[in-house]
Amino acid sequence: MRRYLAVFLIDWQNQFVYRLNFLLWRLRNILRLLMTFFLWKGIYQTGSAVFGFSQPQMFSYILLVLLVQSIILSAPSADNIGGEIGSGDLSNYLVKPISYLKYWFVRDLSSKLLNVICALIEIFLLWLIFRPELVLNFSVSSLIGFLLICLVSVPAYYFLSLLTRFVSFWNPENTWGLSFLIIIFIETLAGSIFPLDILPAWGKLAVQFTPFPYLIYYPAAIFLGKITGFYLLRILLQAFIWMLILFFFARLVWIKGLRVYGAEGK
Amino acid sequence: MKNFRVWYLYSINSFQRTLTNRFITLVFVVSKFIRIAIFLFFLNLLLQGVSSLAGYTREQIIFFYLSFNLIDTGSQFLFRNVYSFRPLIVSGDLDLILLKPINPLIRVLLGGMDIMDGIMLLIILAVVVYFGITSLSVPVFFWLGYFLLIINSIFISAAFHIFVLGFGVVTTSVDHLILIYRDLTSLMRIPVDVYIEPLRSLLTFVIPLGVMYTFPPKFLIGLLSWQLIVLSFILSVVFVLISLVFWSRCLRSYQSASS
Repeated sequence: MRRYLAVFLIDWQNQFVYRLNFLLWRLRNILRLLMTFFLWKGIYQTGSAVFGFSQPQMFSYILLVLLVQSIILSAPSADNIGGEIGSGDLSNYLVKPISYLKYWFVRDLSSKLLNVICALIEIFLLWLIFRPELVLNFSVSSLIGFLLICLVSVPAYYFLSLLTRFVSFWNPENTWGLSFLIIIFIETLAGSIFPLDILPAWGKLAVQFTPFPYLIYYPAAIFLGKITGFYLLRILLQAFIWMLILFFFARLVWIKGLRVYGAEGK
Repeated sequence: MKNFRVWYLYSINSFQRTLTNRFITLVFVVSKFIRIAIFLFFLNLLLQGVSSLAGYTREQIIFFYLSFNLIDTGSQFLFRNVYSFRPLIVSGDLDLILLKPINPLIRVLLGGMDIMDGIMLLIILAVVVYFGITSLSVPVFFWLGYFLLIINSIFISAAFHIFVLGFGVVTTSVDHLILIYRDLTSLMRIPVDVYIEPLRSLLTFVIPLGVMYTFPPKFLIGLLSWQLIVLSFILSVVFVLISLVFWSRCLRSYQSASS
């Protein structure tokens, strides 16, 4: 445990080495948020409710997305995993008394902590600047539900990104291909641009069978109190099942990948 | 002519490099189509939920989005190499390019044409023309103007990419800068008129993304005045010239670190 705490602390410090890079990364997140904010503000000029969402409900959702993205999707430059496999640098970790997968997960957590702190500050500043009317009628149960789904979705996203990077075991020169596909699905099907409530019933049902809505939409909807009672329990269970599936496949691909790993480049 | 030959050779090499892994090429192309298809689906849903968007009809909004993809993919097809500029700066390998008797911009800006985007570009172009002809019914003359404005947009995009390269020389932070540019351009998936003031004017006249992405389809629909057409060409020339001056100024501060 102390080893991983040391990794956490070192990574925490490392994040302040390339400060401009980090600031630009946060600027990107704010820009995306502003993009969505102004998009919906423009759309709401044509009517008071779109897809059953009032303007305050939509703005609350948008601000929450920034927070949820920081908790679940922020990660250190995870391309490094693919790069380390491709360059043979993975060998340096395999000979150390440390689990490579836990090592990166701890780095993931360190990155999330910093991103969450920044996101909270940004949300507060954006709220101060634009003063949008918000609807935050969450209860204790929705707050507990939100924490539980985050606890499940954080590792789920980590396993999902591992799966895309492990392609490097078989194709060391192209670490980016599958990741790109997953990014596209997260961009569109996870609920970052629009809440999934706007989808027709069949569409909403279909995306439940993918891991993507559990990364943004469901955490935000639970926090906003749109998902409660038995439905909340069902979504939590589904998120947990997805986490287990992704863990199983990530582990399977890792084991199979290690068998073909030849430390090329070393 | 020499520069053109060098650019041609760089492009052929880049195509060959990409095609060494056909599966990944296919994954990229399919992913990009999925993104376009899902956003079209979203737009369609949105336009069912609201009567019109900034006064535009459903067909016009879709045409704006298709034109956005045409310009965006065209820019990425030509200027893909900007995305791999950072390693040249942090390793000092830019020295090797600066020493060659060609304009370094040929290498760093145009030296990595992306065949994946080339494939996408051809398909999107076909869709734009087909959709435009069947849904908008405009005279052939308007198409000529439309494509001239698209070329104008590519020049503005070139200027943006040159600015990013310049900043990259000074700060070594190219990756996020180019992605910030990409995030800003994604605002233009819908017409700039949808956005409220002052964002609309900011995106049209200060950061001329509105000129780049919204003006060509607006012209085709017949909603662009001749004054704005002239302004867009002047803006592009000025923008390119400023970016070239900026690039040469930034090169002076290049320190050849790590070389």
